[in-house]
Amino acid sequence: MREQPLKEVTQLIHAIKVGLVEGSYGITNKTLDIFKYIIISKSWKNADALMQIVRAQCRILQAALPQETVTSNIARRILKLTREEFDLLHAKVQHFADDSQASLSLHKLVTQTSESNVSVDYSVPQQGLREALLDHLQEVETELETSSENICVQAEEHIHSSEIILTLGHSRSVENFLKRAIKKRQFLTIIVAECAPACRGHNLAASLAAEKNVEIIVIPDAAIFAMMSRVNKVIIGTHSVLANGGLRAACGAYTVALAAKHYSVPVIVLAPMYKLSPLHLCEQDAFNMVGCAEDVIPYDSIPAREAKVYSPMFDYVPPELVTLFISNTGGHAPSYVYRLLTELYHPEDLEI
Amino acid sequence: MINTNDQVSQTESQTSKAKPKKLRQRNRPRNKRNRVEDSTTTTTESSTTTESTMPGENSQQDAATREQVMAEREAKKQAKQAKKQKSAPPATKIITEVEQTTITTKLTTTTTTTARDKPEPPAATAAPAAPIAAVTCTAAVVTETGDKTRDQIKAEREAKKAAKLAAKVAKSSGAKVEAPVQQLADLKVTEKTPAPSVAPAPAADEDKKKPALSKAERRAIQEAQRAAKAQGQGQVKKAQPAAKAPVKSTATHTAPKELKRESVSPVKKTTTASPSKNSSGSAKSECKVKLFNHLVSAEKGASLFINDPLVHPSMARLGVQYAQRTVVGSNARCIAFLHALRQVVQDFETPAKKEFGRSLDAAVQHHVDHLHKCRPLAVSVSNAYKQFRNQVTQLPADVPEAELKEILVHFIDTYIENQIGKAAQAISSSLQEKITDGDVLLTFGCSSLIQFICEEAKRRQVAFRVIVVDSRPTCEGQEMLRRLHAHGIPCTYVLINAVGYVMAEATKVLLGAHALLANGYVMARTGTAQVALVANTHNVPVLVCCETHKFSERFQTDAIVYNELSDPNELVRDDKCCLKNWASKAHLTPLNLNYDITPPELVSAVVTEVAILPCTSVPVILRIKPDIGY
Repeated sequence: MREQPLKEVTQLIHAIKVGLVEGSYGITNKTLDIFKYIIISKSWKNADALMQIVRAQCRILQAALPQETVTSNIARRILKLTREEFDLLHAKVQHFADDSQASLSLHKLVTQTSESNVSVDYSVPQQGLREALLDHLQEVETELETSSENICVQAEEHIHSSEIILTLGHSRSVENFLKRAIKKRQFLTIIVAECAPACRGHNLAASLAAEKNVEIIVIPDAAIFAMMSRVNKVIIGTHSVLANGGLRAACGAYTVALAAKHYSVPVIVLAPMYKLSPLHLCEQDAFNMVGCAEDVIPYDSIPAREAKVYSPMFDYVPPELVTLFISNTGGHAPSYVYRLLTELYHPEDLEI
Repeated sequence: MINTNDQVSQTESQTSKAKPKKLRQRNRPRNKRNRVEDSTTTTTESSTTTESTMPGENSQQDAATREQVMAEREAKKQAKQAKKQKSAPPATKIITEVEQTTITTKLTTTTTTTARDKPEPPAATAAPAAPIAAVTCTAAVVTETGDKTRDQIKAEREAKKAAKLAAKVAKSSGAKVEAPVQQLADLKVTEKTPAPSVAPAPAADEDKKKPALSKAERRAIQEAQRAAKAQGQGQVKKAQPAAKAPVKSTATHTAPKELKRESVSPVKKTTTASPSKNSSGSAKSECKVKLFNHLVSAEKGASLFINDPLVHPSMARLGVQYAQRTVVGSNARCIAFLHALRQVVQDFETPAKKEFGRSLDAAVQHHVDHLHKCRPLAVSVSNAYKQFRNQVTQLPADVPEAELKEILVHFIDTYIENQIGKAAQAISSSLQEKITDGDVLLTFGCSSLIQFICEEAKRRQVAFRVIVVDSRPTCEGQEMLRRLHAHGIPCTYVLINAVGYVMAEATKVLLGAHALLANGYVMARTGTAQVALVANTHNVPVLVCCETHKFSERFQTDAIVYNELSDPNELVRDDKCCLKNWASKAHLTPLNLNYDITPPELVSAVVTEVAILPCTSVPVILRIKPDIGY
């Protein structure tokens, strides 16, 4: 059976494709709105039906926007939420005493998998599920809204005064993080690699230059290695965090991370929780996208007729090159990402 | 003392041209002004003779100044002690000390003058008068300083305090630094004024030459100001002992003489003047990135390119080409330089009564200085220049000029042919066996050598393709792509941040180099190190192709100590770019580095015309080929 996209979903896909909605945060927000709308307005009878709808719409979004993993991440959150709420309500009805439903401890996980292979029947209609879900959704929304702020707050813990920080391209989290750092710490030097061909680093530099007490240096991507010898910390944003702790980040991040490794400079990655995706992609081709090559070489130039020109969008950064993730819940080592994923999503929802 | 006298007499005997100057020399007044004046007249009247006597004059002056410096050191020491003890008696002691030294210098001057007054050859010219003028004038100064030490010390201290304060307040703003400098300069001027009173009996023809003299004085003052500025900027923090004044005063007094000598060759004067200009202008042309302040070259004003009579047109053109980056690439710059040099050699005319080799050397030196100002010399160019200079110094003596020129031109041609042409062929042939069917070569930027190698491989009908990695802002890779495309070599083109994306395809990485440093580091276009790094992590062999004429004896471990900054505006993409008005933003600086340094551990091998070697063998090559670098 072929699923039909909702009108809202098609609108969102269109908006993202034409660039009306930009950035992971914006997309996440819009997606969450759609799922909220589904929960409120759609006539689903039971949890199972709701999960079916969410899955179907998520698949459509995924197919239309394969590179935007945040949509599926949010869908997974909704699914997990539904399961949790259902279990909670179900337990109440059954008077089945379960003390630690909300937080899954390691102990609980172990005992769960060993004892209960009984799959819960979600098709049983459950009273009050919709209200409980909306309540919980509110929490997710606030978490999303405050995620950037929560990351920023940690700036003081990681940046000392007169530090030389290198960043790449333009990430909103990094921008806010650095702005906070500039306010709290003096004499920072921030080196921005421009990230050709889009050169979004220029925007970041212009934005940061409005602050006082800071020195902004814009360098071409080629000079990253040359400058790395003087850099104290590399702070980059990422497009998504993969299940192994690796990154799918803006093109050039791999070189930055390698250069940082060469000079033993710590690489800090700012990644709000909604960017964590349970994907295992270690191959460039598995997730990369090639963009328009016009910016790389003008179409009308003579060699452009024959030459193959690539303009990939992403780089895969292996987890061993990342020192630390900073999410809205705190710092995490790359090796800890798998654990965060199990807390964030239900194991059965990894495949949608 | 005796030595100097001997030298004077020597110079006298050397100068055989008769000039009616003897009279004036006899009743030479002690007025410093007159001395200066006289030396001007001598230089103007017989420029060639003054030049020929220059060495003697120099040594004379040196001796005098050495004497003085010794005295001043003594005085300084004393002053230091006095400072420490802060008691009256030592102060007087200083004065006596200084006076003693001045007496000795006076003695020397008197001896020289007596020597001069003794039976003089009738053919004595005015030229030797100059050294005596110098000695007497410096002696006068010393006496003066001896008398004034205490006052001066006080004044100096105050000036220095002010300078320190000003420096603290605002290092960057040139205007504020100027104030203490002005003070220092004033000090100098005041020192000078009492000179006439010490030395009476002005010469009869003083009035006639007043304008010239005042000009000379003004120059001296300017010179002093510059020196003071440089010193003030450099040494404010050091808190030097107060007795620095005499040193400066002597400097100011000797300055006019130097200037006069230079006025014989106006070019030299400009060259000496320009650095001081730079130092004064450095406040405003300072790079906003403190890390790179040392790399900032003075702004290339239009004056640099305005016709300099002593710069050969071919060199002037080359300078513009260097500055505007129309001639880029280590080899291209070297070849262009050698071609221009050949022109210079061919068109060179030896000045009258001069040796061909020496005067040519001086002329070429001037040209090289000019080029260096346009753009810091490439290692290949400076190596070629060193070789050329070596050749010039080894020229046979008793050979007609035309033949010498022939030798030099032949040398230049063979240098181009051997060091660049044949070396490229040798490198190419040794690399051909490394390029086989199915190879994917990855290269960065544009290198004439790599292009040559690829063309050769194509001629051998090897089925290979090339990935050209490029970087903003220069985008030289597009030129490489165009050239390779013209030879029908299939190419892939990416920007440097996508190098990880294409590295998996590559089987070999071929890189060009700007220079190979003695510690095995490779100096090349920025981005080369990154390509090597990514290749290394993908276990792709990195071959750096570099002729031995680009080997440098410098040691360098990072790209910041010695580098070149290009125009930061190149980073601005278009009018819509956010960086467009970066200059108006106080904290924003685009930085356009020219070179980076690739550590040897990232390079599998260096391909030279001698052999394929590990990077660390560079010093070996430098040793077995000692004519490469000096």
